[in-house]
Amino acid sequence: MTTNTAYGAVKRPEKSSSPWAIARRKFLRNKLAMISTVFLGIVILLSLLAPVLAPYLSPIPDITKVNIGKMSIPPNDEYLLGTDKSGRDVMTRLLYGGRISLLVGASATAIVVILGTIVGSVAGFFGGAVDSLLMRFTDFVLNFPFLVFVIVLNTILYGIVDGLWVLILVIGLLSWGGVARIVRSKVLSERENEYVLAAISIGTPPAKIIIKHLLPNVLSTIIVQATLLFASLIVAETGLSYLGFGVPEETPSWGNMLAFANEPDVLQGKPWMWMPPALAVTFTILSINFIGEGLKDALNPKSQR
Amino acid sequence: MTTKELTEQGNTQKERENLLEVKNLKTYYPIHGGFFKRVVGNVKAVDDISFTIKKGETMGLVGESGCGKSTTGRTILRLIKPTGGQIIFDGEDITRISGTKLRKARQDFQMVFQDPYASLNPMQMVGDIISEPIKNFERRDKKELVEYVKSLLVRVGLPEAAYYKYAHEFSGGQRQRIGIARALALNPKLIIADEPVSALDVSVQSQVLNLLKDLQEEFGLTYLFIAHDLSVVKHMSDTIGVMYLGNLVEVASNKDLYSEPLHPYTQALISAIPEPDPKLRKERIVLQGDVPSPANPPTGCPFHTRCPMAQEICSQEKPPLKEVRPGHHVACVLY
Ligand SMILES: Nc1ncnc2c1ncn2[C@@H]1O[C@H](COP(=O)(O)OP(=O)(O)OP(=O)(O)O)[C@@H](O)[C@H]1O
Ligand code: SF4
Ligand SMILES: [Mg+2]
Repeated sequence: MTTNTAYGAVKRPEKSSSPWAIARRKFLRNKLAMISTVFLGIVILLSLLAPVLAPYLSPIPDITKVNIGKMSIPPNDEYLLGTDKSGRDVMTRLLYGGRISLLVGASATAIVVILGTIVGSVAGFFGGAVDSLLMRFTDFVLNFPFLVFVIVLNTILYGIVDGLWVLILVIGLLSWGGVARIVRSKVLSERENEYVLAAISIGTPPAKIIIKHLLPNVLSTIIVQATLLFASLIVAETGLSYLGFGVPEETPSWGNMLAFANEPDVLQGKPWMWMPPALAVTFTILSINFIGEGLKDALNPKSQR
Repeated sequence: MTTKELTEQGNTQKERENLLEVKNLKTYYPIHGGFFKRVVGNVKAVDDISFTIKKGETMGLVGESGCGKSTTGRTILRLIKPTGGQIIFDGEDITRISGTKLRKARQDFQMVFQDPYASLNPMQMVGDIISEPIKNFERRDKKELVEYVKSLLVRVGLPEAAYYKYAHEFSGGQRQRIGIARALALNPKLIIADEPVSALDVSVQSQVLNLLKDLQEEFGLTYLFIAHDLSVVKHMSDTIGVMYLGNLVEVASNKDLYSEPLHPYTQALISAIPEPDPKLRKERIVLQGDVPSPANPPTGCPFHTRCPMAQEICSQEKPPLKEVRPGHHVACVLY
């Protein structure tokens, strides 16, 4: 039984068969998801490089200064995307706006995913009283009136944290309930597998069981949730700013640009003021959703390679 | 190690020490119901069973699906909370220990699980699966640990290269070998094997059973071997316990149980084993009716609803398990 193996001769194989490596190979073969990834990468890169790029793309790379003489210029050779009704360059604001919208989306998503995962996995793993307590708290948070929280947090944090981060915190602290519920139910079903019992019986401590056994097995669900959240939180930023509850007015974001264009004559006659942010939001969200679909497919062990 | 071997040789077969004593063990699963999820009843999965296993021996535990075999095994290993009774392992009462003390105690008793697919974490490399128990208790040099784990893999009949693979790349039988290596890693005294071959192809079943036998000799292991099939247990066990509806109805040595089954339920089970020799073939006892629900077990003898020998008293009093011949215990009013 032990004859045909040579000691020490066996090295780690080149092509890993780990479930993650298999998922990566599947994802790389998904065209739509790959195109979306490249597109999203470009959007992120352009946003990050806004301060570097703006001076090359526009004669007025400033985002806040009002220029009385240059109001509402349609796109031309000089102002590639025109100017808005305060005489600010739309291209510049679009680049800077992307930074804010993506920052709000990504940071709030990070908060939501981390809180939701912790609460959901602890509740699901321990069950019983811990579970009921945490889930009751989750329901409470899910039903908490959003605007009250914005106002309260704004008052508490006034002058300490800038308005943008208040928005991120509010979205993050109020939106983790859904993720917590999904993670909990996934952990509950995953916990029934005998490998969890095996981990207990070989003396693995509870925290390590959650981190090393349960989370890797629910991570695919979490990743897919995170992409969907990222998209919807960018929309939330846009929506809230549009309604005037979001990013402070002087900071450009895609939502703010849309809000600022919310006048009948602009909407009808001056599309260059709102089309760029509207298209940016739409395509960014579409690409994130395609990436999410691709991940879902790649991480599903049952789908074909 | 050497002293252990010496003492084992010093003991004659008859006076081996008990490694495991189970006394009046009960495990009930609460049934929640109604508006407020109150406990409205209990599934009496294990209802007052007692037995002992001597060092280096194998006790087989048989019974139909749902009779409480897994629950018994898991309760003994403290993976499920016992409702009552006592578990004495190697002279120490482990029924109520908890926390770090329990975690430490786990080094000495391990389990091989029923489902070769669900019992291995699909996201873990096989090498990590087998190293984990060791890492939980000691700090070992990394290279040395890798070598040790590879030697374990070879010992259970897998190539060293299995170290770098994942569970999904193996067949059921190979996965079960990985599970056995994990259980072996800490050099335990007791291994509870919960139907380790029932999910495997018949062709690989005997290979895995032989591996378990070889390992027992080599490592001086004690087994509680669970199966729903008497023929598998016969091959493996020194003593055999027969379970029915959460109760142990008969315990005897392997030889006695097959040559002289006393309990009507055991007799029915044995008559159902296919006998190739027509001269030895006996009439098959076919049991009527279904196994009652453990949530609502019958009064008196748990078997009386299906017993061909049932008498009036059987539905009134539950017969205790008693030693009717040397080493032969049975729970039935007939004896
Ligand atoms: N977690 C649980 N909650 C409630 N009831 C349970 C639970 N686990 C098992 N049971 C019930 O307890 C009884 C005994 O189950 P157990 O799994 O111990 O049986 P078993 O003899 O191992 O069966 P099998 O041969 O199918 O593995 C069954 O009636 C089962 O439905
Ligand atoms: S006690 Fe009665 S019902 Fe139970 S096995 Fe014996 S004869 Fe049958
Ligand atoms: Mg079972």
